[in-house]
Amino acid sequence: MMLLRAVVTRLAPLLACLGLLGIWQVAALILDTDSFPTALDAIRAIPAILGDKESLINILASLRRMAIGFGLAVMVSIPLGLMMGRSRGVAAFFNPLLMIIYPVPKAALMPIIMLWLGVGDVSKTLVIFLGVSLPVIYHSFEGGKAVEEKMLWSGAAMGLSAAQRMIRIVLPAALPEILTGCRTGLVLALITMVTSEMIARQSGAGNILFNALDMGQYDTVFAMIIIIGAMGIGLDAAFEKMRGRLVKWSEPRFDLPLSFS
Amino acid sequence: MNVLPLRPDVAADSTPARGPASAMIEIDRVSQVFQTAGRQSHLALSQISLTIEDGAFVSILGPSGCGKSTLLYIVGGFVKPTDGVAKMRGKAITGPGPDRGPVFQEFALFPWKSVLGNVMYGPRQQGVKHAEAEAQSRRLIEMVGLKGFEDFYPKELSGGMKQRVALARTLAYHPAVLLMDEPFGALDAHTRTRLQNDLLNIWERDRKTVLFVTHSVEEAVYLSDKVVVMTRSPGRIKEIVDIDLPRPRRRAELLLDSRYQKLVVDIERMIDDTSEDELRT
Repeated sequence: MMLLRAVVTRLAPLLACLGLLGIWQVAALILDTDSFPTALDAIRAIPAILGDKESLINILASLRRMAIGFGLAVMVSIPLGLMMGRSRGVAAFFNPLLMIIYPVPKAALMPIIMLWLGVGDVSKTLVIFLGVSLPVIYHSFEGGKAVEEKMLWSGAAMGLSAAQRMIRIVLPAALPEILTGCRTGLVLALITMVTSEMIARQSGAGNILFNALDMGQYDTVFAMIIIIGAMGIGLDAAFEKMRGRLVKWSEPRFDLPLSFS
Repeated sequence: MNVLPLRPDVAADSTPARGPASAMIEIDRVSQVFQTAGRQSHLALSQISLTIEDGAFVSILGPSGCGKSTLLYIVGGFVKPTDGVAKMRGKAITGPGPDRGPVFQEFALFPWKSVLGNVMYGPRQQGVKHAEAEAQSRRLIEMVGLKGFEDFYPKELSGGMKQRVALARTLAYHPAVLLMDEPFGALDAHTRTRLQNDLLNIWERDRKTVLFVTHSVEEAVYLSDKVVVMTRSPGRIKEIVDIDLPRPRRRAELLLDSRYQKLVVDIERMIDDTSEDELRT
């Protein structure tokens, strides 16, 4: 019984995916229109895309931009967010700026950025950078702000300088919160990646998708959606695995603390 | 057995040759004003002067809000006094340093480090070699009664265990003075008693200077050589009571000792008077 329950829990995500594909298949068969291919047709189109050298180069170019945009955003946003969290002056300076940028859809900036920087890699990477930055800054800020003063005092008493306290106390103490921001940032990187390629058509996974749409190759469109979705799931799962390893100290090993004075 | 290795500089300082007073900490007319919201200023400490001798266990006792913790933070160098000066071995205190080791009510352990990692942190920061720091830290962890828990993370420990780790972590870098800020305040009565006993045992072994903030009269009398009774807003020293009970002290004997009982009652009266003074003004 226990084993069965464990097996069901394990398989639940897989069952959910199969269920979704099943509903899709049935719905497409009932509707029977060109613009809504069946799940099987879409899946059948995947090997053709992944087997095509041109498509693969496009997808890899997308991933490269995403990695660079995400990496740069994280490298800038974590220190900025933590400094905002620890210094009222820094927070007072940057908060209004970020409040203005926050509600603006980053893809809406794309036309302006393209005007300045062209339709190439730089523009697209910059949009990804902007999309990732805000959640990472926000969570780093919250994480940095929440670091216990007494923990920093303990470090100061051991002889840690202000800079050492920032790197060796604030950073690890805020890490669970920072990584939560990075996880959101990773998904946003994928979204901004696709939207940037939708606006600046030149190369990339989004480009394949929208070209296919223009040409009425709907099974390719849906196949690309599945591929992008799978990339999202894969990246998120890999990130979660890394996150779990980095902050295992913040999860209890036992359900209850041991009772022992 | 001397578990704590002696620091040569501490040993040298404690010889009588250094000077007559052998004062470890001198607090000279220290006042602290806090700015509250609405531009009001609140006088937390008023003209406090106090000398703490080398090797003395001194408690600061007072109602909450009397500024007793602030006084400890000033000695720790975490807070700058508005007026007056605090000195450590004759030198004005300008900031925190490893000669003064704090133990906080909130434990303030590093949650990403194991018990061993927490205790080793100070020695490693001081440049002690890894193997040596580890061996020392393991001994300290054993001394505070946590053998077998070296690889646990703070989150997996109870409050009493966390405070034991915090004490070991501070002892590990050999501060000349221990600054204990209501260290057992967050613990239940039973755990509190056990930690008091253990602290006393550890202290009676190496007689570090201790500044101990508490609002428990029994705790102050049980542990201290001297109890500094404070009044509330503004925090002033009302009286300094010498606790001349013999050491080593054993709790069970002490509770039955009439001198202990009298001290507790006397000090409780002083605090009651303080509250009445407040009511009158």
